[in-house]
Parts: sequence; structure tokens; C-alpha cells
Amino acid sequence: MESVVLNINGRDRKIQVEKNWTLLYVLREVLDLTGTKCGCGTNDCGACRVIIDGEARNSCCVQARRLEGCKIETIEGIAKGGKLHPIQQAFIDAGAVQCGFCTPGMIMSAKALLDACPDPTEEQIREALSHNLCRCTGYVKIVEAVQLAAERMREEQEGGSAS
Amino acid sequence: MIGEGKPIEDAAWKVTGRKQYVADMKVPQMAYGKILYSTIPHGSIIRIDTSKAEALPGVLAVADYRNSPMTPYNSAKRFIGQQVISNETIFAQRCRFVGDRVAAVAAESEEIAAKAIRLIEVEYEPLPFVTDIPSAIQEDAYPVHEGGNVITGMETHCGDAEAAFAKCDHVIEDTYTTPPIHHAAIEPHAVLADWGPDGKLTVYSANQNCFAFRVILSDIFGLPMNRIRVCAPAIGGAFGGKLEMTIEPVAAVLSKMAGRPVKIVLSRRETMMATRVRHGSLSHVKTGFDDDGRIRAMEFKIYTNTGGYASSALNVAGALMHKVFLAYRIPDMKITSIPVYTNTETAGAMRGYGSPQIYFGMQRQINEMAGILGKDPAEIQRINMVRPDSRNPASGEPIGNPRPLDCLEKALRLSDYEKALVRQRKSKEAGGPLRVGVGIALGVHGNNCFGVHRDNTSPMIKMNEDGTCLLYTGSHDMGTDTVGMQKQIIAEILGITVDRIAAVTADTDSCLWHIGDYSSRGVFVVGEAAVKAAEKMKTLLLEEAGKYFGVEPEEICLRDNRAWVKTDPEKSADLKEIMIYCQSVSNRELCVHETYEAIRGAASYGVHIAEAEVDIRTGKVRIRKYTAVHDVGNILNPMMIEGQLQGAVQMGIGYALSEGMHWDSKGQPGPLTLKKCGVLRADQMPDQLITDFVTGKGGEPGGPFGAKALGECPVVPAAPAVVNAICNALDIELRDLPASPERILHALKGGDKND
Repeated sequence: MESVVLNINGRDRKIQVEKNWTLLYVLREVLDLTGTKCGCGTNDCGACRVIIDGEARNSCCVQARRLEGCKIETIEGIAKGGKLHPIQQAFIDAGAVQCGFCTPGMIMSAKALLDACPDPTEEQIREALSHNLCRCTGYVKIVEAVQLAAERMREEQEGGSAS
Repeated sequence: MIGEGKPIEDAAWKVTGRKQYVADMKVPQMAYGKILYSTIPHGSIIRIDTSKAEALPGVLAVADYRNSPMTPYNSAKRFIGQQVISNETIFAQRCRFVGDRVAAVAAESEEIAAKAIRLIEVEYEPLPFVTDIPSAIQEDAYPVHEGGNVITGMETHCGDAEAAFAKCDHVIEDTYTTPPIHHAAIEPHAVLADWGPDGKLTVYSANQNCFAFRVILSDIFGLPMNRIRVCAPAIGGAFGGKLEMTIEPVAAVLSKMAGRPVKIVLSRRETMMATRVRHGSLSHVKTGFDDDGRIRAMEFKIYTNTGGYASSALNVAGALMHKVFLAYRIPDMKITSIPVYTNTETAGAMRGYGSPQIYFGMQRQINEMAGILGKDPAEIQRINMVRPDSRNPASGEPIGNPRPLDCLEKALRLSDYEKALVRQRKSKEAGGPLRVGVGIALGVHGNNCFGVHRDNTSPMIKMNEDGTCLLYTGSHDMGTDTVGMQKQIIAEILGITVDRIAAVTADTDSCLWHIGDYSSRGVFVVGEAAVKAAEKMKTLLLEEAGKYFGVEPEEICLRDNRAWVKTDPEKSADLKEIMIYCQSVSNRELCVHETYEAIRGAASYGVHIAEAEVDIRTGKVRIRKYTAVHDVGNILNPMMIEGQLQGAVQMGIGYALSEGMHWDSKGQPGPLTLKKCGVLRADQMPDQLITDFVTGKGGEPGGPFGAKALGECPVVPAAPAVVNAICNALDIELRDLPASPERILHALKGGDKND
């Protein structure tokens, strides 16, 4: 066991980890942050996607002990108070949710994209989501949700800067 | 309300990551289970030594065939007393495929359990094995089970196909194959079993059939049903892969031995290797037709690969037979269906339930017919499709309100078919490396189990004293909003808003018996049951409101969460007032249930048109444009049904082009990762995906508000539509799925037709 401080959703968490513990394991099993899902554990499906220093990554293939000093965002951290993040709201409004198991990872991929690129093309969205597998939706409404979120976030931004 | 789009009812739980799936659950004293699987395709265990595993600190229980019930069961048994072939056990003594369950461990942590599994020593006496249909059906093939590998042969027919073929202008005949595939629900199988000190077993499981699991667990452990509770808190995708019982009895036996709740969450590799796959198939298809394009006769002989255990063997092979009679007006048909054991992963239900397999060859031959006659495939479809007044030629029963022709015409229009044909022709004339082809296919699927076995569901509705209500439904929401759909129906009938309804679902202790969520019965059966239950509750509410206002019940109507006196708009009251009156004055609780048995079967239709671009240098295929139009009667929730259709297209194109499991010469399965299993990603979807429905055609009789299923139907036409497009682009005939680049290149070089 070694001690590591992980900054998760803006809060420092001091935890003891084994060398081989993945971030996914720490999130789910140590911190009870079960919003991040495990669909494969082999870096293929994106259900475990989180944002590390602004970049969407699969938490199943990152060792937790190497993440000290990194800023980690998970699905649990993106709603503010009782208000959903615009991407979460857009996933609901666009009908992008079915079984929901890929949804948190999809939302984190979308957030990393929109944080870096507020007005993406459909191709950019599909590329960003190509690391996440979904078996229910055919991705159509997920792409639409990201477009809807982007639009709303830009409006919010513009509204915010105007006032 | 009905006909209005709305997101799935638990969407907010899911987007926040707060929906609790079984893998997310932790209960006090919970232990972790792991399973050891057979590494050989066929062989008896002659020695198993678990002593080192038992000695490992933190290990709580080690189970194998020696200390666990060996009651044979069938994982697809649906109801008590159902006659099924039972030849699976919790743990195998004779292993029948790589991935068969050999032993299991419960331990304080997953890590310890995994370590203990590695300490179990197993020695096998290997037996000869078969992994494919042609080898398995050889007379001298080593039997996977006593009695041989051919489980049975079933036949259905109408007219006299043999005699009809003799009179046809043309007869074509060929062999088609489809591979087993992985369901690829993103949630791997998970279970938490808690065998309590009072002898009551509670099982939380991601599954589609809690009541059936209770029956099987009761058979295995000899427990009465009041001492088994099975519930499905959430399901992260299923597609049939969670319909049959797999790991539940393992967790139960470990929990009993350890005296602790035990959770087992499969890895992706385990889910792919050791749960269920879609049946692979080999079918001989023969079509007789005349110069005018009329199909006169069809004959099918299909072998389905059911893998190591009986499970769904008879159900899938039986169900697929009935589907071929619902598509065209063909007087003379015959189908023979033969399920076969092999030493591969057990096959089970998967979206389509045999239809994708049998329709592949059928729809390929429709396309081939068009080529032979020099006619447009659309015309062949048009001439032969069933009409709304058609009857099933095998049963003589009316089909209902089948609208494949309307699907076809709408799909042709939406896909701009004529222009696509021009692009196909021009790309051939240009002779470049990229060839465009357009393909059409029709798919049919049922709506329930009518005529096969019991087909009921029993919702219950209870009013609360504030005018809100609770729905108790045995149905399982796999992500299709089955529960939200029922709420929508109840809301419509009771004149209340959906937010006034809460639901208790998929729980054998809280809900009335329900036969399970499969065979696309969500809307047609479960939805209609909700109609009936809601109408019963409405009657009671009208009665109470009548008393409240001092008028006859017929003078009351319900809307906007209120009861109204029809003749006096001044007189209305919130249902809360009515319920307070009901409880305090009438001294009455309002609770109704409906035991609903489907009154008939129904068929859903879809026509898909794929426009593919094939690179003749690499064999790679890109779907440029994909059009899917379905006949689902009247639509209850356009948002969800559209999403479900779009998802089915992804599943169907994967089946067409890239998905498929295989077993090598040593009987080892592959691929066992999501990276390699060929499921389409967001950037591999068609450039343009058009989905639509046939509406305004009177709806489906017997369905709620005239609605019928989408469900499984859209995975049926997808693969043949895509492969027809490829074949039309390249003037080749592909008869095996998936149409991989290798197969396309091989066919382009004039390779053998059927390899």
C-alpha cells in the first residue's frame, strides 16, 4: 500500500492504494463513486471514462498511484448542486439515454470535447465518442444530445458574457 | 400523452450516475465470488483439488460439482411445470465447452477470490469435440449429450412445396451461414445473492425474467417460492443475453456455503466466453418463382448451433419456423428446423430469436431472383409481400394489420431509391475502385408468445390517499422504457399526469406473476395489460367521484388530475379530494389488478434499404445511406421508438459486416474482447441514417391504442439489406455472415461460393 492524494471533483482525497489498483477500482471500490462503470476493463468500451487534466480517458487502464497532482472529474462531479450539467440535461432531452450503462462515460467524453471545443462539427463529435461503445442507441441521439448541449452551453456563455 | 415523445423515465438517474446497477451494489458483510471455467472444449473432470484454494486466508467457500446440487435444469425454463430438456447443472462434471463452469470461490475480496481460483487444480480426461454444425451432424460425431447432437427435427408447412417447385419457371437453391455473436450489452452479467439465516434466498440480478429464475432456482435448490425473491434493480442492456439463467445459482450456492451475501460480476471476457451467444446457423434455402416475379414456393432447412446445453434450443429453432410464413403470399412452403449441440458456448435468446438467421438466406434469394429476372428487387418485394387482409398460409389465421408494402413504398421514397440505383449503375460504368450498391430487405417479427405457450402479464395499480398511484409490474426495463410506457398508458386512461405514477418493477416478492420480457411483448402484451388494469381503476374512481358529487359514475370524467361532472364545469375536484373521500367516507382502498393473457399474435414489419460503398481493393464497406421504415401500428412514444430503431440498425450492420465469434481447431473461442468483436462505433455508423414509421393505417388490433412492437424486428432485415447492397455493387453472391473484407475480396476473385 502506498499513500496518494487524488484530486477528484475538486476535492483532495488521501487514500491508500496498491500498486496495481486502477483509477476505476479506486473510484468504485474505495470511494464508492459507482457512477463510473466497468464494461470491459480492457480499454475498449469507454464506460469508465473520466476526465484527467482536461482529457477524457478510460479509468480502467490508468494506475491510481500515478495520478497525484492531476485533476480528475467524474460523472458525480459535473452537476452543480441540484442543477444538472447542460450535457446531462441534453442527454435527457434528446432521448439519448436507454439502458444507461454507457451514459456516464459518454457524457464525460462529451464534456472533455466541449470544454476544449465549444462548437464541434458532427465529425468531431463522432470521433470523440468513438472511444465509447453503446449497444442501444446507434449513437444518433447521443450525437444530437452533444450538439444540443454545445448549443445551450454557447448560449449560456454568450448570455453570461453579455451581462 | 399517447403519441408524445418523452425520454426514458429514469433518465435523470442514469445521466447522474446514480442509477444503481447490480455491480454497483454493496451490502453489509458482502463477499465476492469468482468462477473457474473449463479450459478444454470437452472432457470429464477426473480430479479436482480445491484444498489450496480453501486454505487461502480470506476464502469463505469453494464450490464445485461435488458439494453443490447437481439437479439438471434448463436455463430457459419460463414457468412452473413447463416441459423442457434439462441438461445443465450449476457446475459441470463433464465439461462441454471452453467456458463451462467448473468451480467457484467466495472470498473477502475480489482479489483473494481470483487468487483462490488460480489455486484450484483440475485434471480432465479429454473427449473428442465438435465446434461446428457440419461436423456435429455427422453420424459418427462424438455426442455432446447422450442421444446424439441432433436434438430434434421440427417441420411446418403449407401447401406442397415439392409439387410447386416442379411447376416453377425458375428454382434457385443454396446454402447460407450466420455466425454466433455476442450480445455486447455494455453491462457485463452481475448478480448478488443473499441466502439468509432464515433460509430465504434473495437474488439481485441483471436479468429479463425474475419469475422464471425463481422457478429454476426453486427446482435446483428445492426451495418453496416464498423463500426465493428475485429482482432486477437495473439492467444495463440485455438483448436476450440476460433472459436465460447463468451465474445466479453459482452466487446462491456460494452464499449458502459462506453464510454471507455474495456478489459476482463477470469480466467482459467471461461474459463473452461463458454466458450466451446468438445461435449460429446453416440453412439450405430453395425458392421457386415465375418469370412474372411471383414466388411460388419456398423451402428451408435450417440447422441452429445451440452449443453445449439445451437451454433455448427448441424455443429458438421452433420460433424461427413461424416467421417465414408472415412475409409473402406464397402458397406452398416448408420449413425444417434442426437444433444441434456442439462443444461451444451455449446459445440462447438474442434479439430476433432465429429470425435474423432464417431471413438472411431468404432475403438474399429475393435479391438473387431479381438479378435472374432482370427486375428491380423492389418490384419483387412489392409483388409478393403480404397485404393487410392476408392470412398466415400455415395457420389460416389473419395476420392482423400487416403493412410491409407501406414500409417499402415509404423507404423507397425516403432513400431516394431511383437515384441510388443510378449511382449504382454509374459506379459500375466508371469502373473505379469504389463501387456503390443498393440493397433492400424485408424483416418480420412477432409481438408475443401467443400460440406457443402462456403469454400473460399481471399489472396491479394502487391509489394513494393523495390521488397519486403506484404501478406494480413484473416487467423489466432493459432501457426501452417498458415501465414508462405503462405509466404513459395509465396516465392517459386515468386522466392524470405521468409524474403522479410511481412504479415497483421486476420483483417476485412485490409484483404479480409475469412471464418475462422477451419476444417483443412489451407494447403489445404488457402495454395492453396496463390498459386493462387502468380501465378497472378508472371504473372505481368514477364510482367514488360519483358518490362524492352525488351523481352517477357515468356522469364523471377524469382529466388534468381531476374528476369532473360532465354536465357542470363548475363541479370538479382534484383526485386527492376524491381519494380522501374514498378512504374516510367510503372506508375503501382502491387497488386493482389485471391478469392479462394476450388475445392474439401480431406481426411487425420493417423494410431496410442500404446504400453501400465497397472498396474493391480492400473489401472494406462504408454504408453511405441507410433507410429503415417500420410498421409498428400506432406509436406510443416516438422518441424512444426512434432511438430503439437506430440502435437496432447498429446491431444489424455489425451482424452484416463485422461481428462473429468462432472456435479454433482446439475449441478455443474468440474474440473475447470488445475491441475485436466488431460492434460498430460512432464513427462507423452510416453517413446518413434515416428512420421512419408507417402511421395512420388504423393501428394493430388488440394492441394498446393500436400499437405493436418494434423490439426485435429491425435486426432482421439489416444484414441482408447490407449484403444485398454489397452484392449488387460487385455482382457477386455472398452467402455467409459476416460479409468481411476477406470474404468480399475472395468472392471478387471468383472464390467458392460457400466458404
